[in-house]
Amino acid sequence: MPDPILVIEDLHVEVEGKPILRGIDLKISPGEIHAIMGPNGSGKSTLANALMGRPGYEVTKGRVLYKDEDVSSLSTDERARKGMFLAFQYPTEVPGVSVVNFLRTAYNAVHEDNKLGPLEFRKYLQEKMDLLEVGDEMVNRYVNTGFSGGERKKAEVLQMAVLDPQMSILDETDTGLDIDALKEVSEGVVKVHDSNRGMLVITHYQRLLNYVEPHFVHVLIGGRIVRSGGKDLALELEAKGYDQFRTELGIPEGEELSDQAG
Amino acid sequence: MSFTKEDVEQLSAALREPRWVLERRLDAWKIVEDSELPHGKIEAWRYTDFRRLKFSLDPFRLAAPQETTEITEVQETLVKEEGERGGYVVQRDADVVHQELSPDLAAQGVILMSLDKAVVEHEEIVQEHLFTQTKPDDHLFAALHCSLFSGGTFLYVPKGVSVSVPIESQRWIDEGGTGIFPHSLIVVEEGAELTYFERFQSIPIPNDSISNGAVEVVAGPRSHVGFVALQEYGGRVWNFQRIDMSAARDAVIRSLIVTLGGRFSRQEVRTAMRGEGVDCEMLGLYFAEKGQHFDFRTFQDHIGPRCRSDLLYKGALKDDSRTVYSGMIRVEPHAEGTDAYQTNRNLVLSDHAKADSKPELEILNNDVKCSHGASVGQMNEEEIFYLMTRGIERPQAERLIVNGFFEEVVGRVRQDEIRQVLSDAIEHKLTGRWHSAGEEGA
Repeated sequence: MPDPILVIEDLHVEVEGKPILRGIDLKISPGEIHAIMGPNGSGKSTLANALMGRPGYEVTKGRVLYKDEDVSSLSTDERARKGMFLAFQYPTEVPGVSVVNFLRTAYNAVHEDNKLGPLEFRKYLQEKMDLLEVGDEMVNRYVNTGFSGGERKKAEVLQMAVLDPQMSILDETDTGLDIDALKEVSEGVVKVHDSNRGMLVITHYQRLLNYVEPHFVHVLIGGRIVRSGGKDLALELEAKGYDQFRTELGIPEGEELSDQAG
Repeated sequence: MSFTKEDVEQLSAALREPRWVLERRLDAWKIVEDSELPHGKIEAWRYTDFRRLKFSLDPFRLAAPQETTEITEVQETLVKEEGERGGYVVQRDADVVHQELSPDLAAQGVILMSLDKAVVEHEEIVQEHLFTQTKPDDHLFAALHCSLFSGGTFLYVPKGVSVSVPIESQRWIDEGGTGIFPHSLIVVEEGAELTYFERFQSIPIPNDSISNGAVEVVAGPRSHVGFVALQEYGGRVWNFQRIDMSAARDAVIRSLIVTLGGRFSRQEVRTAMRGEGVDCEMLGLYFAEKGQHFDFRTFQDHIGPRCRSDLLYKGALKDDSRTVYSGMIRVEPHAEGTDAYQTNRNLVLSDHAKADSKPELEILNNDVKCSHGASVGQMNEEEIFYLMTRGIERPQAERLIVNGFFEEVVGRVRQDEIRQVLSDAIEHKLTGRWHSAGEEGA
């Protein structure tokens, strides 16, 4: 059994003084895809943000180990340079900065020992664009500016392919996608994944998992993982709905968090 | 003030210029004598308090033309490392030290030389246009400029001639404690085309200098004229500049002012749309840091009917810097069918920096479309976080965002060779390589 890529130990996270995550434990080994499913306000996006060290997401207890190293106190960019990646639920617009310029800057930041000049990088980028069937038009535009929902998510997957992270966190990547776009984006994710990498797929719905098949599914309610299982757990959850699931497990309503806590 | 009437007379004598030039200098000097250093009670200088800036005109002596200066003229291919140029004029302190023009352009009747030389060699046309756009009576600095101008550039493009590569003037301050007064007179005749680029630089100097320059552009009917100014002075230079452009019927006239340097910089940019159907673009870009104080005034003067003007000035501020933008759109009584737009946006990167923005409209005709907008905002933390999740360090993320903010302006520069120079200059400034007065040595 190879060493795990990501280990989350008893992670407690507060946002603006309010406890959101209340003890998360998770271990992701190379090649594994884990899904985290949960209702609105269960703490899904908080987990994604906390793993990347977003300012304002305070770890009050526990820690996050990436390849055996405690990254809990590292800045966002340091985690990214070590090989962690977050695909955003709502990718941010960066006006005036072209995708190709942004990606080369990011690539050279992450691959400090193997920087690429503009021409070399363009060639490398082209390979990834071909792999994911992304056209020239997208990379010459400004980052996410005026992109459709589908284009934004495609661009996130392209970034993932270019930066080549070992641990990817996908935060509700299915948000805002119609069925065709969902299929296209999911196929891209599958192409980028391999036996050396770990992936954590955060989602509200099961539909993404039809394409990106998880090895493990964890149900997050009230800031805790209340049940873990295989792929079938996602189907069970989809069939019953979160309410019934909560009743079965005897979780009181008070355990719910506000929507904005995400 | 250290400048004197004798300075004016000696300068004129040293340049052996015609009598009428001295007379114009002395007329302007009368205004100097009747003027005082502008202060906060005058509306046009409300945000620039020279007492607070500890500025006075006492310490500067006139950078006098050197008797021995030889102008080097090179008649060969004009390809420099920064890209192709149709011609160059290089001024060091008071003197033009180098001038060259591509033989092709010379053969088509284009004239490029120092203004000092042109008042003698092309007296008639210089006399017709000099100070028709820049007037000495606006304030002390305008009057000083019209009294003491030297060096400078005269550029003439005859009817129908298209100058396809930019022509450039460089102004260098090499000596501390001086005042330089470069004047550019650009005359573009009917149907002609030109892009003219001016750069202002200084070597590290031990004490303060003042640069008080002006550019007059006379754009004929149906001409296409682009003007770009890049100001990268060091932290010991106090920069004053006027850019006065006049456009005749159906001319297309564009300006871009990029201001990065100087302890202080005050620039007044005016486009007078005198004929019908002028298409005018006015762009500005500035990045202030380390105590720099920039003050911009723009004037979109709609005189003729059915002209269109589109202005966009964008600036970023760091540290304890200060910027002021005030822009006037004036639509005169006969300017029916005017389209005029004005936007100023500021990105403030520090709690100690301050940007003021003050648009003004004066509309004397009812048949107009006019809009103006101003904003002062801060760096978006969402964007910073997004870039940092891709491994980019915070300072570099900030630079990317500032560059992106400027792109809306830089992206409109049509000539690749100028756009590249501007991008490099901006990158130089954004990566902290500009030196303030304190860093430049005492």
